[in-house]
Amino acid sequence: MSLTNLSMTEAADAVARGETTSAALVEACLARIAQHDGQVNSVIRLDAESAREQAHGLDRARASGAALPPLAGVPMMHKDMYYRQGRVSTCGSHIRRNFVAPRTATVLQRLDAAGAVDMGTLNMAEFAQNPTGHNRHFGHCHNPFGLDYCTGGSSSGSGAGVAARFFFAALGSDTGGSIRLPASLCGVTGLKATQTRVPRTGVMPLSFSADNVGPLTRTARDAARFLTITAGRCPDDPTSAPEPVQDYEAALTGSLAGTRIAVVEDWFFDGIDAEVAAAFETAMDALRALGATVTRIAVPEMAAVGAYTAVVSRAEGAAIHANWMREYPADYAVHLSARLYGGYSLPATLYIEALSRRGPLLRAFCERALGQYDLVATPTLRTIVPNLAETDIDADPENWARFMAVSANTRPFNYLGLPTISIPCGADHRGLPIGLQLAARPFAEGRVLNAADAYQRATEWHQRVPSL
Amino acid sequence: MSEPRMVIPSMEAIRLWQGVSVPNAAARHGLAEMEALIAALEALRGRMAFEDEPSGFDAALRACMEPQP
Repeated sequence: MSLTNLSMTEAADAVARGETTSAALVEACLARIAQHDGQVNSVIRLDAESAREQAHGLDRARASGAALPPLAGVPMMHKDMYYRQGRVSTCGSHIRRNFVAPRTATVLQRLDAAGAVDMGTLNMAEFAQNPTGHNRHFGHCHNPFGLDYCTGGSSSGSGAGVAARFFFAALGSDTGGSIRLPASLCGVTGLKATQTRVPRTGVMPLSFSADNVGPLTRTARDAARFLTITAGRCPDDPTSAPEPVQDYEAALTGSLAGTRIAVVEDWFFDGIDAEVAAAFETAMDALRALGATVTRIAVPEMAAVGAYTAVVSRAEGAAIHANWMREYPADYAVHLSARLYGGYSLPATLYIEALSRRGPLLRAFCERALGQYDLVATPTLRTIVPNLAETDIDADPENWARFMAVSANTRPFNYLGLPTISIPCGADHRGLPIGLQLAARPFAEGRVLNAADAYQRATEWHQRVPSL
Repeated sequence: MSEPRMVIPSMEAIRLWQGVSVPNAAARHGLAEMEALIAALEALRGRMAFEDEPSGFDAALRACMEPQP
């Protein structure tokens, strides 16, 4: 097997056992990027020499008999909104093209301590604000399974690069689906943990109420190890949750015996494509075969969740960008300034209302959907993967509805703050991936990871490699 | 399709309160799309009330955790 086809945990364990070296992993990744990123356009900044130095240092440490941390020697790249002190962090924008980060993000510090090799930064939607992967400033990111198609956004380079086997894992961020959408569209695994589970210090903000930090990986096992390393209270982020962090990887059992899954029929299936519906039903059959029960339920509060979700993230995003929208409106892509602009029309009283209903709606959702059930399952995206042209608002404002519809099934879980994962569960007639979304109660990341891991032990969708 | 009547007064209110001018045609189109959100929120009126007791979302997250065995 090619080194780049290993999962993150397989690569880390191979280095730890001396079956390969970090230097070999880095060279394999750099060669693949050199060969294929001209088509995919996932990379903004490649720090090849720094990566080689980090790798040689870890290989020397292993040779000297030093104990290695759990991600020692594994090459990664991250969405270009995770600050590293002294390094430019463009946030996918023209406005921050020369912004030098004043500090290093907590999650990068934790990945550094775990031995991960940071090879550079990745393409993304401008200021993490679109669900498709379009970027006027750095070029659109292209889906490795079909270059004319969307990668999903906003963590476009993270999804495309993990799928293309350019590196073994990447940080994304998720305010309305920005981890889970590229995971679904690019056929990889994406985890959004419970709101506040992972510290956000040193991360570009989009919406303080709904922003989440998390990984895109090849497998749920990778995501489990990644979360174990990155989650947990950080004194520099007073909003980070103090709940203890378990070893999520050690808790994976491969069994779903007795697991009760709810399929919420409201909202998530409106206008669904037949191929997505069929792949979802096949996935439910696979989960049943693993011992789970699947029950269809109604959650009438979904209409309220959907409406308030739009209010919170759009109002907060507009507020954060107000100065730049006044001073440099032409420096934004058309689709972004258009999206931000609508946020200014929202009355403050409505924003307060949306925030005040968040707790009651979470309690209602948990009572109805997660009272008698352990997990909620939905398609990650209601449609098959759209192409870049038909979702390009800059070219044609009439594409607005298609563009906004991409994140319809992911946004509600940001408002509800629930841990949610997207894993590949099929492919459409063009070979483009279809994603399955699983959610659980707050801080029950172990449940979604265990279900996703059990599903991946029984299926092979996560092992598909795009033909570039 | 004709532009909803709320677009021009909304543009004026945004300029007045925020000092932000409409940046492009797509923004005007997006503002018109807010009509759907207004309708969705209108349908919710009267269905939920503010809670009298102090509360917060962090507390709700903890209150909704799985019961410990």
